[in-house]
Amino acid sequence: MADALRIFSEVYERERAALPGAQGWLGELRAKAVASLRESGLPHRRLETWRYTDLRRALDQSGFAEAPAHRGAVLKDAAAHAFDGIDAYTMVFVNGHFRPELSALAGLPLGMEVFSLKDVWDVHWVRAAVETSQQRLNAESAVSLNLALAHDGAAIRIGRNWNAQKALHLLHLSSDKGASHLRNVIMLEEGAEAAIFETHASAGVDDYFSNLVTHIDVGPNAKLTHVVFQGASRKSVLVSSSDIRLGRDARYAGNSLSVGAGLAREQSFVSFADKGGEADINVAAALRGTQHGDRYCFVDHEVPGCRSSVFFRAVLDGDAEGVFQGHALVRENAQKTDARQLANALLLSRGASMNAKPELEIYADDVQCAHGATIGELSEQSIFYLRSRGIDERTARGLLVTAFLDEVLERIPHEKARDSLKQIAQRWFGEAA
Amino acid sequence: MLEIENLHASVGGKEILKGISLTVKAGEVHAVMGPNGSGKSTLSYVLAGRAGYEVTQGSIRYQGKDLLSMNVEERASAGIFLGFQYPIEIPGVTSVTFLKAALNAQHKARGEEELDAVRFLKLVREKARPLNISDDMLKRALNVGFSGGEKKRAEILQMSLLEPSLAVLDETDSGLDIDALKVVAEGVNALRSPERAFILITHYQRLLDYIVPDRVHVLSQGRIMRSGGKELALELEQTGYAGFAA
Repeated sequence: MADALRIFSEVYERERAALPGAQGWLGELRAKAVASLRESGLPHRRLETWRYTDLRRALDQSGFAEAPAHRGAVLKDAAAHAFDGIDAYTMVFVNGHFRPELSALAGLPLGMEVFSLKDVWDVHWVRAAVETSQQRLNAESAVSLNLALAHDGAAIRIGRNWNAQKALHLLHLSSDKGASHLRNVIMLEEGAEAAIFETHASAGVDDYFSNLVTHIDVGPNAKLTHVVFQGASRKSVLVSSSDIRLGRDARYAGNSLSVGAGLAREQSFVSFADKGGEADINVAAALRGTQHGDRYCFVDHEVPGCRSSVFFRAVLDGDAEGVFQGHALVRENAQKTDARQLANALLLSRGASMNAKPELEIYADDVQCAHGATIGELSEQSIFYLRSRGIDERTARGLLVTAFLDEVLERIPHEKARDSLKQIAQRWFGEAA
Repeated sequence: MLEIENLHASVGGKEILKGISLTVKAGEVHAVMGPNGSGKSTLSYVLAGRAGYEVTQGSIRYQGKDLLSMNVEERASAGIFLGFQYPIEIPGVTSVTFLKAALNAQHKARGEEELDAVRFLKLVREKARPLNISDDMLKRALNVGFSGGEKKRAEILQMSLLEPSLAVLDETDSGLDIDALKVVAEGVNALRSPERAFILITHYQRLLDYIVPDRVHVLSQGRIMRSGGKELALELEQTGYAGFAA
């Protein structure tokens, strides 16, 4: 047992002078974040939004809190990953640090500005994003921890009315034992369109803690397709927090497939700045062994006329634990809101478990809201039906499991990304021992 | 083709079939009729090998082999097809995907060549046309949102694609209007051949106007009470099943 919070504090004290922005606004913001982190401690189960996941305990027990020995160990190339077959610009990060020599950014068009965050913390739009995110998420101690220690990440800006034809892939790798705190800032200006893919994976190490924060700002009439494959090592601890802000008539399509991490908490905080925003968050998870996967989505409808949909599906085998907590808050002013939350889980074994808690909190009276949750097993009747046509039992189960996840993955608007993740989901079942 | 001898079977510890003997030869169509609860569906599930349908006594030989020692998919690959009374909805699996998986699984089990996508699609369309099954329906999730008639036609399509030696059709006529019934019956008749046998399980005589059986058996309370030619079905239509109580 190690006291992870104490170690993080020590790392901060040791490194603060060397962290980007030590002297200015960022240094001050970091100091505040550390103070708030020390006061609240790391997230634990007595917090309502963390009631099924004890991050504090996982970090105390794992001993992953120390900073990695290397900023990025020798790594000749980034190995095969989820979106490999797709023509995309690629930014590779190792242990939270940008690695230009592994990345592929040649030929970026004028409308796509892509930076290593460590070089642009002080640029006005980055600073604004960091400051407003911190205001919105100041209660999240994992976000404060990230702010305290983050060096680097991706800073991306898609210019006004720019339609980025080629996707951008953020590949996050871990190559050394320890903790990394990476921060992304993604900004789409008015009328811009882009597809951003993200992969989380291990590059030869199992024992790590990856703590990411992604700020996403989708401007008026802009449209972002965001597709995430979380394939972290099955011993690792991963926390990924996204602060997603939509402008007038903006559209955010968030899609993910999570099969990795020993303990994962993936959380999205969605808010609307103006009318007509639409946010779709489609989540697929497939876990086995002793994996613990927690998906939290908070959607804040503070303005009228926006739509949100959260659709979660998990397949759980072995002794895996799945968690879904969804919370749509419809404030008094947010008339004509359409908010939906749906969670379905499929348990493949006696030892697997699922906690689902979709929640609607509504103060406006002219709204359309719905929520639901189901937890079930594969239907023996369906398996018999498939077998009666000559399909062996294992294949029949695989077909049904894959179909279950496909119904979420089918919603990915980018065809090639959709096919990539569907293939991974299909392989997942076959990988069982 | 099929020899059932003194078959006893239980579901959940309760004996449903109480000594059935039935011989079906290649090329024959047998109708098994009877009131609700007589054991008709149990007989079909026992033939297909469904878990929970326990054979406590007797034997079934199929093409000279011990059927009861084979699992569900082995029976399917050996040529037994069960047409379901209530075909199961499979969300997320399109009919095309399912049909291909089934056909290729059977080909593989029999050591035959698997079909490539092009040949497969051509074959499916060929078989689907006479059953009025559109490409659109083939692309939809299997049986999901299908009407009663569509589900039964989809069953017949599966049968016609898989070309079984013995087809057991459980209440294929239930829930069909007369036009759908004719389409289904034509589908069955088109498959009649000297190498293939059918067992039609039905409550009503109506289906047998369109598919004329060679033999008719009356099942009641787990036993075959009477067997005869096609005229037996007409007699039942007049008298009902009341006379067959044990």
